[in-house]
Amino acid sequence: MSGIELQQVSKIYPSGHQQVQALVDLTLSIDDGEFCVLAGPSGSGKTTLLNLIGCLDRATSGTIRLFGQDVATCSARQLADFRLQRIGFVFQSYNLIPVLSAEENVAFPLMLRGVGRDERRRRALELLTVLGLVGLEHRRPADLSGGQQQRVAVARALVGEPSVVLADEPTANLDTGNSVELLEMMHRLNRERGTTFIFSSHDPLVIKQAERVIELQDGRLKADNRRCSAHET
Amino acid sequence: MAGLWWELLVLAWKNLWRNRRRTLITLAAMSLTLMLIQVLNNLSMGSYRQMIQSGVRAGSGHLTLNAPGYREQQDIALAFDVTPFWACIEQQPEVQQALPRLYLPGLAQSGYDSRGILLQGIDMTREAGSNPFLKSLSCDHWLRPDVPEDALLGIQLADQLHLKAGNKFVVTLQNSRNELVSELFRVRGVLQTGLQDVDQSLVLVSLERAGLLAALPGKIHELAILLQEQQQVGAVYQQLHEALRDQPGIELLTWQQAMPNLYHAIQLDYASQNAILLIMLVIVVIGIANTLLMSVMERSHEFGLILALGARPFRLVELVVAEALVLGALAAVCGAVLGGLGTWYLWARGIDLRQFISEEIEYGGIVFEPVLRAVWDVPWMAQSALFLVVLSVMASVYPALRAARLTPVAAMRRR
Repeated sequence: MSGIELQQVSKIYPSGHQQVQALVDLTLSIDDGEFCVLAGPSGSGKTTLLNLIGCLDRATSGTIRLFGQDVATCSARQLADFRLQRIGFVFQSYNLIPVLSAEENVAFPLMLRGVGRDERRRRALELLTVLGLVGLEHRRPADLSGGQQQRVAVARALVGEPSVVLADEPTANLDTGNSVELLEMMHRLNRERGTTFIFSSHDPLVIKQAERVIELQDGRLKADNRRCSAHET
Repeated sequence: MAGLWWELLVLAWKNLWRNRRRTLITLAAMSLTLMLIQVLNNLSMGSYRQMIQSGVRAGSGHLTLNAPGYREQQDIALAFDVTPFWACIEQQPEVQQALPRLYLPGLAQSGYDSRGILLQGIDMTREAGSNPFLKSLSCDHWLRPDVPEDALLGIQLADQLHLKAGNKFVVTLQNSRNELVSELFRVRGVLQTGLQDVDQSLVLVSLERAGLLAALPGKIHELAILLQEQQQVGAVYQQLHEALRDQPGIELLTWQQAMPNLYHAIQLDYASQNAILLIMLVIVVIGIANTLLMSVMERSHEFGLILALGARPFRLVELVVAEALVLGALAAVCGAVLGGLGTWYLWARGIDLRQFISEEIEYGGIVFEPVLRAVWDVPWMAQSALFLVVLSVMASVYPALRAARLTPVAAMRRR
């Protein structure tokens, strides 16, 4: 079943007196539980596409349907609720809230949902344990390494049990060891929980791990290849 | 909902200390302003209380009984017999003293010169412990009950008439029957009140003697009622007004009605002081708004992240308002503690103006103590602290709306 459907989607950004076409008539569907990567060079439209799928931005034209809902018809408040309930984000530069501890950062989306303190704590600690961060839950982001921060960001993306996790260049700031570890962990969560993972990356390591590689160039779909995961073989 | 607000307040507290120096500077400005406002107000209230105390004791009391129309017409015939009301007034536990008085304008003549005077008939025993005009007078110079020609003179009047203790002088006046009458008095003592008008014209004699001279035996023009506490005026007025409702020929006035000049002088001073305090608060509000706006602008990226994680824009408004609330509450507590310490010092020690001014201080027709002392106006202190919190929250509205207008993608591009 296709949870994410894009029909003839274009996105144009104004840039001074000119306009930059970031996506051009893109048509694409991604099924539930897929583990796919948006590949392509810088400026190919990967981040723009992730922002549109994540309801962080609106398309200039075309239709985006998320789980049957046309996002163009949603208000800003509805989009916020959609993000809170259905989507998890992992950003390139971690983007943790510096004044909160690792545990509080993970639990933050649950706080926005109004989940009680004890339940939040329980779920955050459970994920931190799964991600190998036991003992670091009270540390603030500044006291964690890059790999640890990115795992906290992954935990934050997963804590609300979203339908889709969108990860924008999640390994860009990690060394090879941490990147491999992170990808393995995400793959495991994909298999165990059936969560859809969509990455944007031009890291060969990430592309190698993906079951589906959607290649973009100059805002257009260049190639769409499905394959068995290298991880499974 | 309450739980979420508590979480927001905790987050707001943490956010405030990101830029410790800026927060401390803003906090110091807010706290010191509140302290200054509270101390100035308490000092002013102390001065007003002193002025009112001095005014009501020398003047018409906290409450005054008159014959109707006496205040407006100043007709000496408008006198009344206080005997029927004594019991009713003196049985009120709040009443400290009731002072019967007669006021008779006239002319004083010595062998040297003559001057216009205000002859005041008083009950020396009652006035001695209450009337600040008599404060400078030793008891050796008090009016004696068995010597009816005893008189006390204002110091300038005595100078002008070249009179000293023991000298005789003649008072001439028109009595209540419009007859011109004269009477011989002997100077028993000289008063220095500090009020030029009073020192130039005051003559105090016994109430009985004044009553006979004015052909108003047993009658008075005014009963000045002094209360234990100034705050009791409203309640005692109501009680006495009710009790004396059926008594014809008298009217009950508060000190504000009986001494409008003093009341308006205080009102005017209080209004101008409040205007200054308001300007100080506005300056503080601008400071708070600036701090919060800088904080919002610096954290645009983070606000974009919070929006991306699924927060509704209004949640950012709540967060910024929560930060202002925490800042305001913290400043209110610090300011109130400092204000309390300042007030305590000025309440215990006061400011001695004799270091700066050698002469006595007259304001609004009243002489007051050269040592200014604060009073504890606790309700006002609480109100001003609460007002600071409200202003702090109001100052956060614009920064909060700026935060709410951010869009996730645009905000996250900023660093």
